[in-house]
Amino acid sequence: MAADGETNPETGKLEFSLDVPFPSSREATIALRSLSPDREPRRGGISKHLSVSGSTLSVRWSADEARILRVSVNSFLDHLSLVIETMEMFGPPVAL
Amino acid sequence: MTVVIGFEGSANKIGIGIIKDGEVLSNPRRTYITPPGQGFMPSDTARHHRAVVLTVLQEALEQAGLKPADVDCVAYTKGPGMGAPLVTVALVARTVAQLWGKPLLGVNHCIGHIEMGRLITKANNPTVLYVSGGNTQVGYRLHRAAWQLFGQISNDPSPGYNIEQMAKKGTQYVELPYTVKGMDVSFSGILSYIEITQHCYNGDELPVALQETVFSMLVEITERAMAHCGSQEVLIVGGVGCNLRLQEMMGVMCKERGAKLFATDERFCIDNGAMIAQAGWEMFRSGQVTELEDSWITQRYRTDEVEVTWRD
Ligand SMILES: Nc1ncnc2c1ncn2[C@@H]1O[C@H](COP(=O)(O)OP(=O)(O)O)[C@@H](O)[C@H]1O
Ligand SMILES: [Mg+2]
Repeated sequence: MAADGETNPETGKLEFSLDVPFPSSREATIALRSLSPDREPRRGGISKHLSVSGSTLSVRWSADEARILRVSVNSFLDHLSLVIETMEMFGPPVAL
Repeated sequence: MTVVIGFEGSANKIGIGIIKDGEVLSNPRRTYITPPGQGFMPSDTARHHRAVVLTVLQEALEQAGLKPADVDCVAYTKGPGMGAPLVTVALVARTVAQLWGKPLLGVNHCIGHIEMGRLITKANNPTVLYVSGGNTQVGYRLHRAAWQLFGQISNDPSPGYNIEQMAKKGTQYVELPYTVKGMDVSFSGILSYIEITQHCYNGDELPVALQETVFSMLVEITERAMAHCGSQEVLIVGGVGCNLRLQEMMGVMCKERGAKLFATDERFCIDNGAMIAQAGWEMFRSGQVTELEDSWITQRYRTDEVEVTWRD
């Protein structure tokens, strides 16, 4: 897993990104679809974007406030590890 | 044959149940017990659910003697409830639905209570009294209720149960404010009355008084609803519904009217997974599913926002 954080000099926004490798693109997509439906609370000027490329799930955050960013990243990590544990215990995905 | 697995975790209980055409195959549950004197907070409750949800899922499958392939639909609580615990449970439901290649179905928690009550009791066309921790509902009216109320003098995971046990030993009674206006009940008078006068009592009379007063109010509005609808059946659902004194008082009213009372015990009254599976079973059989993109959870979710497609 790779993570990167900085302040964007143009927008002044805090940015943070995370790349999470999965065993296959199928599993990365399952994680994306499990983690996407719940919207971020609309406060603290935060936005979160999820995408899959190959077998990697990428998440990009942009926020005005460090505190709000931290809360969002922490809760995402909790959610991500639950999804991964679920895959480990109840996977692999059935053939389509 | 249709097999539905139901995931519930909207408050301090987490349960996963499996229903096969009206038969409860398994229904394991865990309750988050808070430190003494504390109510349950969303993030701590979610942490509890995260730690046990996969074990409970394994138990549900094992006790039912089923493999994932035998499941036809994965139902989960969409709301109402606390956000963080709801998300936790929804995440697992979404993930297994995709791993197993099964459709997903978001269920309204209150509808779950009602459908479970109907399944277990076989009530036909009842007036439903829904009495739970978060809210109390007769017909479609919501009331702030029992948890807050009972929380005043006891703060356990199941304050209502403690009140019931304390009231059994109670020897005295005090009069508390009784407020019913039409179909509305109000408990705020009782709350402030207890707050102000609590120090005057030795603790023995309050549980008795609370139960007698609150349950009388609930019986009164239920009777009014029955008269209004010409109904001859009452079904009590929700966590408070397993209170035997409430069932007894409601039973007396029903007997006087020649009506029939239906209620269930704590296995099915208190939040559980089978109730979500059962409501999910009805919805799935009537053709409903929830697309993943639409599977967000919602802390507020009124019962009358649900389109009932499985009953006419
Ligand atoms: N024997 C009982 N008598 C009265 N209230 C009870 C009893 N057992 C549980 N309760 C109450 O039921 C409520 C929980 O209801 P439930 O439907 O399981 O949860 P929620 O409201 O979170 O959905 C709690 O407020 C608890 O105090
Ligand atoms: Mg409930």
